[in-house]
Amino acid sequence: MKAYLLPFRQWFPFMLLLVVASVSIKAQRCSLRIKGQIFHAETNAPLSFANVAIKESNKGTIADEDGQYVIDNLCAGTYTIVCTHIGCDHVEHQFTLNADDSLNLNFFLEESSVLLEDVIVKAEAIPLMETQAVSSLSKKELASTKGQNLGQALERVPGIANLQTGTSISKPVIQGLHSNRILILVNGVRQEGQQWGLEHAPPIDPFLADEIKVIKGANSVRYGAGAMGGVILLEPRKLPQQVGLGGELNLAGFSNGRTGVVSGMLEGKLSEKLPISGRLQGTLKKGGNIQTPTYYLNNTGIEEYNFSWALGMQKEKWSTEVFYSNFNTKVGIFSGAHIGNLTDLMNAIERENPLEKGNFSYKIGRPQQRILHELLKVKASVLTGDLGKLKLQLSRQFNRRQEFDAHRQFGSLPDNFDEPEIEFEITTYAADLDWTHRPIRNVRGSIGGQVLLQKNTTDFGALIPNYDNTIIGAYWIERWKKSPTPVEVEAGLRYDYQQLAIGMQGRDSINTDLAYSNFSATLGAIYRFSKAWQLRLNLGTAWRAPNANELFSDGVHHGSASYELGRSDLAPERAFDSGLTLEFDNGNNLSASINGYYNIKNDFIFLEPQATPQLTIRGAFPAFHYQQANVRMTGLDWQMAYRFLPKWSLQTQGAIIRAWNRDIEDHLLLMPADRFEQSLEYRFDKEEEEDTPYVKISMINVLEQKRVPADSDYAPPPPGHTRFNVEAGFTVRWNDQPLRFGLSVYNLFNTRYREYLNRFRYFADELGRNVSLRLTVPFE
Amino acid sequence: MKNRFLFIITTFLLGGSLLLTTSCNKDDDDGGGDPQEVITTVVLTFTDNAGNASIFESKDTDGLGGNAPVIDDIELAANTDYTLTVEFLDESDASDVEDITEEVEEEDLEHLVCFTVQGDMPEPAIQDKDSAGDPLGLESTFSTGAAGSGNLTVILKHEPDKADAAPCSTGETDVETTFAVAIL
Repeated sequence: MKAYLLPFRQWFPFMLLLVVASVSIKAQRCSLRIKGQIFHAETNAPLSFANVAIKESNKGTIADEDGQYVIDNLCAGTYTIVCTHIGCDHVEHQFTLNADDSLNLNFFLEESSVLLEDVIVKAEAIPLMETQAVSSLSKKELASTKGQNLGQALERVPGIANLQTGTSISKPVIQGLHSNRILILVNGVRQEGQQWGLEHAPPIDPFLADEIKVIKGANSVRYGAGAMGGVILLEPRKLPQQVGLGGELNLAGFSNGRTGVVSGMLEGKLSEKLPISGRLQGTLKKGGNIQTPTYYLNNTGIEEYNFSWALGMQKEKWSTEVFYSNFNTKVGIFSGAHIGNLTDLMNAIERENPLEKGNFSYKIGRPQQRILHELLKVKASVLTGDLGKLKLQLSRQFNRRQEFDAHRQFGSLPDNFDEPEIEFEITTYAADLDWTHRPIRNVRGSIGGQVLLQKNTTDFGALIPNYDNTIIGAYWIERWKKSPTPVEVEAGLRYDYQQLAIGMQGRDSINTDLAYSNFSATLGAIYRFSKAWQLRLNLGTAWRAPNANELFSDGVHHGSASYELGRSDLAPERAFDSGLTLEFDNGNNLSASINGYYNIKNDFIFLEPQATPQLTIRGAFPAFHYQQANVRMTGLDWQMAYRFLPKWSLQTQGAIIRAWNRDIEDHLLLMPADRFEQSLEYRFDKEEEEDTPYVKISMINVLEQKRVPADSDYAPPPPGHTRFNVEAGFTVRWNDQPLRFGLSVYNLFNTRYREYLNRFRYFADELGRNVSLRLTVPFE
Repeated sequence: MKNRFLFIITTFLLGGSLLLTTSCNKDDDDGGGDPQEVITTVVLTFTDNAGNASIFESKDTDGLGGNAPVIDDIELAANTDYTLTVEFLDESDASDVEDITEEVEEEDLEHLVCFTVQGDMPEPAIQDKDSAGDPLGLESTFSTGAAGSGNLTVILKHEPDKADAAPCSTGETDVETTFAVAIL
C-alpha cells in the first residue's frame, strides 16, 4: 500500500493551517470579538481568503489578503470555530468565550498537535459527514433525558422507536429493526451481550455519553457485519486537554416510581510535562413500583449502579487510552404479566386490567432480571509520518444475564433459593486495527480489520446452546472530496468470516460447527446544491449470520408464553438498502430534513406463528418457528424546526414505516406504529445559549398499527392515542457556580394508553403522569 | 487549595476503581445447563370404596418442547364413588425420580389444584385444605353417574388468588393436562 502512496507525497496536504486567534473580550454581552490570522504551515506566509466560521452561531467571514480575520458580536459561550481553504484539510477547534475573562489562544491546527505560547490546543480534522441519514441527540436533548434509560432517551429521535417490556426494559428500534440487527458502539467498542431477546435491554449507562448519534440504515462496512438496521454511537466526552480538575454532578428525581438518580463525574489532567488525563464516573439509580393513571404495577422497581473510569495520555505523535465500565442492574418484571401458559394469557387479556391493583414499594421480588456488563478497552494511536494515523483497540467484555421466574424452581431449600431459572454468560475479546490516511489527491479513507472471539454459556436453562463465536473482518473505505466542488463520494467494501461452534444445549450435545462469510459494500454521495440545501444518498448491502437463538432455540421463552423453535439450516440474511436524505438549513430560523428509505431484506429471519399450539404438561403454548422470507421495508422520517418569532419556535417530527413480507404477501409483525410529534418552544432570550431558560410543550400522536398479519397476535394492537409532555430548563448562579435545573412532566394529562411495541400491552396501561426534576452542577 | 483537595479525592477514587477492576468478572461456569426440577408427570389415583385403585398418568419427560405428553385414557365404572388423589413427579432423569407433590404440600398457600370437566360427569369435589383453610386439591372425591364419556383437565396453579370468585383463572399455571375419560 505504501509503495503506491509514496509517489503522491508531493500532492500531500501542502499546507497546514495556523490560526492565531487572539480573543478580545468585552464585558458587554454579545459584543465579544474573535480575531486572528491564518498562515501557510510550510512557508509561514499569511494565507489569503480562507473561510472562517463559528459553527454554532453561523457567523462567518473570509480572511483578507493578509490572512487577517475578525468575527464580531459574539455572546459569551462555547463555540466551535471552523477554518477551511481550498485544497486544505478542514480544521475546527472548540473554545469558550467568557464575558469576564480574557484568554489568548494561539494554536497550530494540524491533525495532531503542537505549539505556541500560552496554551497548547489540539484540534482534529472535521469528521467526515455520513452519507446516510444521521440523527443525534443535541446537548440540550441529552440533558433533558438524564435519568432515563437509553431506549427512552432515543425515542426522541425521529425514526427510532422503543421496544419495551414494561417501562424499565426498553431497547431502540431503528427503521423497524432491533436487537442483533443494530450495533451499539460504546466509546468505540461494539457492545456484545445477549442482545437477541425482545426483553434484553442494552446494558448501558447513558450518563457515559456526551453525544449519542444514530446512523440509520445498513452500515456494515465500517462497523461490522450485523449492522443491518443501523448503528448507535455513544461517545463519552474527550478526556480533558487542559491541566486542572473538573467535574459534574447530576441529580434526577421522577415522581412516578419515586425514582432517584445520582450521577457524578470527576476529570482532570496532571500537567503538560506528564500529559496524563483521567476521568471517573458513576451512577446510582433506584426506583419503585410505577403507576399507570389508575393503578400501581406491582414489582416494577429498578436498581442500578454503574461506574467507569478512563485514563489517557496524549503526546505529539501518539496517544493512548484505557477505559473501563461496569454496569449492574436488577429489574423487577411486572408480576401481573407473568403467566404460565396460553390459558393464563387469555385470562389476563380478558381481564383488561391487572388482577392486583398494586401499591407502592421499592421491593423487587420475582420475577426479575439481573444483568452485569463489564467493558475494558485499551486504545493506542500513532501518527504514521505525514501519511495518516494508525489505531489499535483491544477490548474485553463480560456479560451475565440472569432471569428469575415467578416460581422458584422445585427442589430442596435453601441452596437453590437464589438460583435463576435462566443464566447466560458471554465473554468477548475483540481487536480492532484501523489506518486512516490523509487526503491523497482529494481522496482520504481508512483500511482496517477486526477479530472478535466470543464464548457463550447457558448456565441455567436450556433455551439456547453454549457456543463459541469467531468473527474476522477487514474493510476499506475511501472518500473523494474536493473543495469547493459541491459533491463528495464515498465507497467502501468489507469482508467478514464468522464461525459458530455450537456445544451443549441442556443435556443434549449438538456439537456442530457453522461457518458463514460474505461481503458488505456501501456507496454514498453528498451533494450541496446551495449553502442551505444538501442531499445525501446511500446505497448499501449488508449481511448477517443467523444467531444461536434463531438456529437452536427450543423452549418456552420467559414470561412470553410462547414456545420458540429454531432452525439449524437458516441462511444468512442479506440487505440491500437505499436511502435519500434532503436537508435544509437557512442558518437563521428554519432547518428541516426528510429521510426516505427503500430497504430489501432477503432471507429475513422472523418468528412465524404455527397453526397448532405446542402441547405440554403445562398446557398449550402458541408455537413460533424461526422462518425466513424476503421482505421489504420502506419509510419516511422527518423533522423541522422553525423559529417564527425571535423567542418562539415550532418543531415537528414524525416517522412512518411500511414492512411487507413479499413471499406470502402480508404485513410483518411488531413494526412501529406511525408517530408524530409537534412542539412549541419559548425561550427567554433572543440568542440561544446553553443557559438560556426555555419552556416547551410537546404533543405526541401515535396511530393504531393496523398493518399486522391477521390472527397472528393474542390481541389486536392497541388504539392510537395523543399525549402531552412539558419540559423546561433554566440556570441559576450561586456564587458564580452555575446550577442547571430541568423540569419535565411526561404524560401531562395522565392519559391512559397502551403502546403496540410494549410487550406488556396485553396486561396493563402505560405510565401515568411522571414529573421529573433534574439538577446539573458543573464545577472546575 | 480546592483544586488540591479535588485532586486527592480523584486520585483516591481512581486508584480504588482500578483495584475494583482488577477483579474482572469471569465466566464462573462451563454452562451445560444445570438440570432443573420440572414437573414431567401427573399421576391420578382413583380409589373406590372397596380400596381398588386405578392409576392414570400424563407424562412429558422430554420437557416443554419436543414430543407432546403421553396421556393415559381414564376408564372408570359407572355409579361409583371414588377418592381422587393427584401427584406430581419429576421423571426427567429416570434414575432419580423426584416427588414434587411434597413441595406443593409444603407451599400449600401458594398452590391450588383445579379441575374442569366436559361431558357426562360431575366435577371432582376438593376435600383437603391448605393451612389457611382454603382448598388445596390434592385429594378430592369423584362420583360417577351413568355410563358416558368426557374430558377431565387437571391444573396446578402457582400463587392463585384463593379469595377471588374464580381462583382458577388467577395465578400462573404450572401444569395443565387433559385426560379423556370413559365411564363404563
